[in-house]
Amino acid sequence: MRKTWLFILFTCPFLAIAQPDSTAEEDYSQYDNLDFADVGAKRFCTSKVLDLSPQKLISIGYDFQGPYQLQEDGGSKTDFDYSHGERLQLNLPVVSRNNIIIQAGLNYAAQRYAGSADTNAVLGRNLLDKGLTTLGLNLTIFKPLNEKNFMLFQGSSDLNGDYNFGNFLSPSYLKYSAALVYGWKKHERLMYGFGVSRTYRVGEMNYIPVFLYNYTAPNRKWGAEVLFPARAHYRRTFSSRSLLLLGYELEGQSYRMTSDSIYSYINRGANPAGTTPMNNPELRRGELRIRAVYEKSLKNFIWISAQVGFRYNYSFNVDEVPSGDFFRGFFGTQTYGMENVLGNTFYSMISINLVSP
Amino acid sequence: MKNLFLLLFSISLFSSSQVIAQDSGDRIIGIWEPSNGKARVKIEKIGTRYYGKIVWLKEPNDPETGKPKVDKNNPDEKLQNVPIKGYRLLKDFAFKSGDEWDGGTIYDPENGSTYDCVITMKDNNTLDIRGFIGISAFGRTDVWKRLQTQKK
Repeated sequence: MRKTWLFILFTCPFLAIAQPDSTAEEDYSQYDNLDFADVGAKRFCTSKVLDLSPQKLISIGYDFQGPYQLQEDGGSKTDFDYSHGERLQLNLPVVSRNNIIIQAGLNYAAQRYAGSADTNAVLGRNLLDKGLTTLGLNLTIFKPLNEKNFMLFQGSSDLNGDYNFGNFLSPSYLKYSAALVYGWKKHERLMYGFGVSRTYRVGEMNYIPVFLYNYTAPNRKWGAEVLFPARAHYRRTFSSRSLLLLGYELEGQSYRMTSDSIYSYINRGANPAGTTPMNNPELRRGELRIRAVYEKSLKNFIWISAQVGFRYNYSFNVDEVPSGDFFRGFFGTQTYGMENVLGNTFYSMISINLVSP
Repeated sequence: MKNLFLLLFSISLFSSSQVIAQDSGDRIIGIWEPSNGKARVKIEKIGTRYYGKIVWLKEPNDPETGKPKVDKNNPDEKLQNVPIKGYRLLKDFAFKSGDEWDGGTIYDPENGSTYDCVITMKDNNTLDIRGFIGISAFGRTDVWKRLQTQKK
């Protein structure tokens, strides 16, 4: 009797664990008519369309620009043999829910210059000596409202200037950018939206309307990725692991220059040009990058991105910004402290990326 | 004999707690809908592990070919003709404790990638499916909702 009890006690748990293998063919039509078990559950649209170029969690890149010339206000010249720099981006999902996605990021970009400058080329000499650095934090919030509508917010704070990590810039010089878009997700291959943004992409602070448009063709061989006017690309999808983007990106910031010898040319009539040191000069750098970008998975989630293109200068002027910042827009009449002419050139950039699931 | 009895009793007790744990793990079994609403996934138990297969597609046919969708993004060419419907995209999950199933992987047929994955049951009708690369920080969470037969 004791043996029987022992047998039952010992074997029952294992019998309970045993489960049938349910790999047999089944009638899938039984899954056609189902509802949420949770009565209050809602469906929300997602933040992507099919085949969108992969989002980068970590990106380590290197940017190189060919030779060009800077002609400063007053006529002094600097011949840059090249400029180059490292770029680092980190983007991490902080909240990832059906009804909200919040992502935080870090951005670092350095621009170093090599070449020769005239004695009086104060801006060129400053760039050769110190280069430019950007360090920023950004936040992206995607808020679906239902299956068809969504809100998108992007905000960033950037510290830009001729500083380095040994000689840091005061956080009071942070520049803030933001965009807010209201959009429609028509189907899995199309989403678009309209909004407004405060941006430094043309070098100086500006308030402009924005248009979001992400589309993939029914044959899934091509599409478009647009956040106008910041960037717009035609996308050719070769496979789920390689694609080509053709288009442009506007890139720019307002950089605090710490040099005491950047002179103002603003009062050409009252004072001799170029003899008054500017109070808190800021370089308004804005450029248009017309480019081809090839992206390919090297192994699983490690992607390489290689781009070549033409860097067209939009602005390389200097403003005196004694406190805060001011709005000039496209039609403002405020005079620049220095009006410079920057040559255009080819550029290339390569990056290794860890892409998001 | 007394020692043998104690040993068997201990094993039995351990096994019984396993059974309770396994039963608790079975809460995940059912039909679930990912956030994009494009598919329905049946989570079932095979042996002691949990698996999830696609049992319904919002768009079952490939618009280009007009035929049932196949796993054409699979990096293994031999598997590129396998139908998506019936495909096991969740594999090898073990019930850990509390509300978590781990040790498994999730496959994304949209890009042919397989990710490490942890499943957390937020409530009886909600799963957080976190696919990640190496460490959980490099990942994305999708929220799945439980489905049931339509009430008449």
